[in-house]
Amino acid sequence: MESILLGLGLEEATAQILGAILKALIVLLFFVTVGGVLTWVERRLSGFMQSRLGPNRVGPQGFLQWIADGVKLVFKEDLVPDGADRVLFRLAPYFCLIGVFCTLVVLPWGSGIIIADLNVGLFYFISITSLVVIGVLMAGWSSNNKWSLLGGMRAAAQIVSYEIPVGLGLLVPILISGTLSMQGIMASQGWLPWDWMLFKSPFTVLSFFIFFVGSLAEANRIPFDLPEAESELVSGYCTEYTGFRYAVFFLSEWANLFVVGALTTVVYLGGGNLPGMISGLWVVSLLVFFLKTGLVVFLIIWIRWTLPRFRIDQLMKLSWKYLLPAAFLAFFGQALWMLLTWKLPLVQLAMAVLIFLTFLVLLYLFIKRVSVNIKEQKTSVNSPLPAEAGK
Amino acid sequence: MSAALKTDYLTINMGPQHPSTHGVIRFIIKTDGEIIHECDPDIGYLHRGIEKLAESVSWQGFVPFTDRVDYVCAMNANLSYSMAVEKLMGLEIPQRAEYIRVIVSELNRISSHAIAIGAANMDMGAFTPFVHLLREREHINDLLEMICGARLTYNYICIGGVNYDLPPGFKEKTLEFLDHFEVVVEQINRLISYNQIFIKRFANVAVVPPEMAMQYNLVGPNLRGSGVKFDVRVAEPYSIYPELDFDVPVGEGYEGTLGDCYDRYLVRVKEIRESIKIIRQCLQRIPGGEHKAVVKNVIKPPKGHIYFRTETPRGDTGYFIYSDGKTSPNRLKIRTGSFTAMSIIPEIAKGVFIADLVAIIGSLDVVAPELDR
Amino acid sequence: MGGYFKNIKNGFQSVFEGLSVTMASMLVRPVTVQYPETDISSNETIQRSYKSTLMGMPENYRGVLGVNLETCTSCGLCVKACPIECIVIDTVKCDKTKLTDNSGNTVLNRFTQKEALKTRASTRFDINIGKCMFCGLCVIACPTRAIQHTNIFEMNRHNLDDLVIAFVPEEEKRAAMARGEEIEKEAAAKKAAKAKAAKEKQKEEKTDD
Repeated sequence: MESILLGLGLEEATAQILGAILKALIVLLFFVTVGGVLTWVERRLSGFMQSRLGPNRVGPQGFLQWIADGVKLVFKEDLVPDGADRVLFRLAPYFCLIGVFCTLVVLPWGSGIIIADLNVGLFYFISITSLVVIGVLMAGWSSNNKWSLLGGMRAAAQIVSYEIPVGLGLLVPILISGTLSMQGIMASQGWLPWDWMLFKSPFTVLSFFIFFVGSLAEANRIPFDLPEAESELVSGYCTEYTGFRYAVFFLSEWANLFVVGALTTVVYLGGGNLPGMISGLWVVSLLVFFLKTGLVVFLIIWIRWTLPRFRIDQLMKLSWKYLLPAAFLAFFGQALWMLLTWKLPLVQLAMAVLIFLTFLVLLYLFIKRVSVNIKEQKTSVNSPLPAEAGK
Repeated sequence: MSAALKTDYLTINMGPQHPSTHGVIRFIIKTDGEIIHECDPDIGYLHRGIEKLAESVSWQGFVPFTDRVDYVCAMNANLSYSMAVEKLMGLEIPQRAEYIRVIVSELNRISSHAIAIGAANMDMGAFTPFVHLLREREHINDLLEMICGARLTYNYICIGGVNYDLPPGFKEKTLEFLDHFEVVVEQINRLISYNQIFIKRFANVAVVPPEMAMQYNLVGPNLRGSGVKFDVRVAEPYSIYPELDFDVPVGEGYEGTLGDCYDRYLVRVKEIRESIKIIRQCLQRIPGGEHKAVVKNVIKPPKGHIYFRTETPRGDTGYFIYSDGKTSPNRLKIRTGSFTAMSIIPEIAKGVFIADLVAIIGSLDVVAPELDR
Repeated sequence: MGGYFKNIKNGFQSVFEGLSVTMASMLVRPVTVQYPETDISSNETIQRSYKSTLMGMPENYRGVLGVNLETCTSCGLCVKACPIECIVIDTVKCDKTKLTDNSGNTVLNRFTQKEALKTRASTRFDINIGKCMFCGLCVIACPTRAIQHTNIFEMNRHNLDDLVIAFVPEEEKRAAMARGEEIEKEAAAKKAAKAKAAKEKQKEEKTDD
């Protein structure tokens, strides 16, 4: 970017600053688009899961729905409720936005494509997402609404307690790759499934589950969407928000979905790694990355429209009684596993292939189950009667 | 230090516009953080004076209003009122009409329970099972529309029988639907009723022991959820129910304590199966003949009063009618299951989470129009 | 401790089952009917296009009420049956079979079959669809099946007054009114004549005495 600007005859300092601004703008545009498109994807997918169609009116297959929604929200009046803390109320959405937005900096889109390859990338990632809690808490507190307050408090308790298992769970991949840099973690995996972090040992599978569940909780998705919980807290912390500020909350929530998917892809699913022969093709690498991210995002959406919601005490129980011990187990188990097999790469490979095959068997069983369910749902209720068929 | 800190309960207004109060009901809750200290239900937002209306319309003309008492199971309300008036008049109705009545009211019971189950699921945050159940309920609506031409407020069962005869093809379509539904409802159970999170949300929450259930006069599935085997269809048999073979499912503490939310929920799921059984038997045995007894256009039941109750999806709905021999009732009182279910909420909602209060309302299956009438 | 691991096992199992159900319904065709585009008026079309998984509108659908004035005898039973009084009928004494329009043609020759018509004609038959609750009691009460439900269910209007459907056309109303007045006049004249005759008779009788 800077080199192009330098070529245009600008001074180096100006080019640096201008380049940074341009990069930020590109990422922001990407952020908005991803957030928006994902709202459409989610609504459409949820529609199909519920035997409905979902939004299909604006544009082909309703694809432009998110733009229509965005335009509508921007034109709405920006209300601040009576008795609200005006400064905090107006500031809160941007904390959420920044918390999610800044994570895009360290996401490796493909091998070599990254905005800033920090050597503490993963650590930066975990810490910057904490800003979201502050935003949610601020929104809940400043709204002067009791439901919002409860939502904000729930969010604070939930996100803070789930950060621990997520952090501990992520220690396992760090242990294997020996680095905190995102590119480093990605490079430590291969393009073959059994080279992925997920299948490396039973403990990485465990750590993957802990990380995934924890991420769902941090992204406020069902079964952990207690801060919003529309059947209990009306709309939780964003009850009082309207117009543009509400759109910002919305956008950051769905962009967070993408970020969780991307992080899972990079850390556990091999990121944008390609076979050796074509490793130079960054476009393919980008495509692979997006494909995997899309699959993870689909899984998250799918889970959301399947499961009911936890209660607050059960949520805490899950975190402290189930995930935390499991995270310790995964960490120590992995350390022990590596100690035992560090001279036996073949055993490691066999284990990885075995786990991969187990997953395939599970997938096969799942597909069989699905086909039974499809057959059940397709049974007719209005087949033509003999008299009608004769007509 | 602790003496200096003054804490107070947080008074929250839950409703009348709240996503999980199923209509316009208001709860004034005092909470200690997430835990409810006191819950005070406030009803009457949907009061339409239906009981008073009865005094100014004809005897037959009140049947469409009974649809509106509880629009989730209008057929059962029609049946209660019509049978009460028939008992008052001493009217004999044709056997075919009795069978048709049982078929349609059991179909309506299925659709009502589908809504109850779905709403409970939705309150727990699972939206998909609710929509799936609505999809199945749509088929029942189609069937009932085929009979009487209306989808929600049927005005089908009338004094003296039923308004229209069964259309051709109804039997086949109903049997086909039941085959479909039996399978799909089991699938929806796998999706939500046996889901571990759902069980954990409902089990051991808001336990109503049998004695307490009887003290508070709970009726219907809420009473049976507490393990009391009482069903008006069996205890005070009416219509052709004595000839039919069906079970009365009761709560057994399926996933925890007897009388918790999950028991009440599962009793409804099991009652759907029993209703399917009943409809199959009725369709098999239904005789030919007239569908309506000869009733005058203007009826004047003899002087006197009657209290008659039938088993509706929300417990027994009783109609007390006082007639002074004129063209409209002198006094009519409707006793509904939602009302007593509502009265137990302050008692069992003490010390539970806000999320549990939502579960309680969902499991008690309170319907606001029936509550306020 | 057993419960601890049982919870984990049940949790995974139920998530597996749940996901399989939602995936299945994702692969089955949605049941949404795109209403204005899809023809829902008959069962057969829906049956065909949705492969027997949906039902269309039945023929006996209880839609907006329609009145066939050819068979209507203006007896008023529907008015009595209606619990919310949304039907209004005004009648005049009138021999409909002899009703003519301004040019002298018998416009209402369709009324020839009914006995009751010889004495009554409706000048007003209004149904307020805004009030109507489609209970069908009037249809059951009607002895000649003149009032019937139609299959129409789209009945939104811009004006509240437009929701009152007037079934008697204006010219018919005028003709019936005119004839009614005539009959009334005739009757009054007759009555007057009768009264006069009676009076005279009385007078005569008096004078006789």
